[in-house]
Amino acid sequence: MTIRLVLLLCAFAGAALAHVTPPIILTSDRDAITTLLPGARRHFVHEVRLTEEERETIQLESGWRPEEDFYRFYIGRDEQLQDVGAVAFLTQYTIHGPVRVAVGLAPDGKIKGALVVELSEETYPWVKTAIDSGLLRSFAGRDAHAPFPRAAGGSSMSGFYSDIIAGLVRRAALVYEAGVLKRQRR
Amino acid sequence: MNGIQLSRLPLSGRIFCTLLLLGIGSGALAAFAQASTAVGVSPAAVQASLAPDLPMTGMQHGEPGGEKEIDLGQISSEAKMTIRTPLLIQTSHTHLFGQTLIAGLIGLIFLFTSVREGTKAAIVALPFLGTFLDIGGMWATRFISPALSMLVIAGGTLFALGYVLIAALSIRDLWFRKEAA
Repeated sequence: MTIRLVLLLCAFAGAALAHVTPPIILTSDRDAITTLLPGARRHFVHEVRLTEEERETIQLESGWRPEEDFYRFYIGRDEQLQDVGAVAFLTQYTIHGPVRVAVGLAPDGKIKGALVVELSEETYPWVKTAIDSGLLRSFAGRDAHAPFPRAAGGSSMSGFYSDIIAGLVRRAALVYEAGVLKRQRR
Repeated sequence: MNGIQLSRLPLSGRIFCTLLLLGIGSGALAAFAQASTAVGVSPAAVQASLAPDLPMTGMQHGEPGGEKEIDLGQISSEAKMTIRTPLLIQTSHTHLFGQTLIAGLIGLIFLFTSVREGTKAAIVALPFLGTFLDIGGMWATRFISPALSMLVIAGGTLFALGYVLIAALSIRDLWFRKEAA
């Protein structure tokens, strides 16, 4: 009886532990900023709190409503204090663990590049397939309004995570446009 | 307890209990290594991962924006994870199930040791209390005060202490205790 009870508890413990998905950190925040802002000599933190109107505009356009209290951009400038670009970090929590992406943006709001900063052990093979097929490179030069590509080939899970990453990259561009570019034009 | 004693178990039972304790000990060491590399095992590291993200620019509540020059040295060069509320929920549910079941399994073995009842009650509670303190401390750090990150470290220490005492006393009874006839 005791041994049966122990075996039963073992089975439950195994099932519970199987759901733990350790994080995989691919790069530090500092390295991501340095990589995505080549040529920057001085760095600034620019934080924006979107107004209700700005949040609604983004939602109407993209279907996604920004819910964070504020968004942070790391701005790179040259010696003459001209903008070189900006980097934002965005995270999506999925059932298989978080996906955190660093997005590099040009001063006009176009995407310069993107890096996957953090993901989970479980999502790693799917995301790696997407990265290997050129997903991150395909964002360069697009703005928040251009249609975003999916990775060619790979499993349906790889396609699913390609969409997650593309969504995060687009969100960074949308928030930069609404919270930084449009405000500068006013 | 109830006539069952670890020292009287047949060889198969002793091997089962020993390997289970060793396996869980190895898992705990791996978990410690993972926690120390992904988050860190100091209150400051736990605080950095769990505490709410506050504006770096000093932007006050209601202000539309702010800007401040920084030195890149202010940004972490370490690959550290940040635990926000959705991940905290995910981590809590897996760890509360997992750690409670582990505490239950090793505690079940420990119940059949020859340790005095009062001492046994205190030791068997340690991994459970450690788990509650550990996970509760994460929520407290995020939602009450970052200073409560020390609870996470205290909880992990309590869990480890409980495991070491349970494993050592159980293995003593399993292999080294001579039962009086």
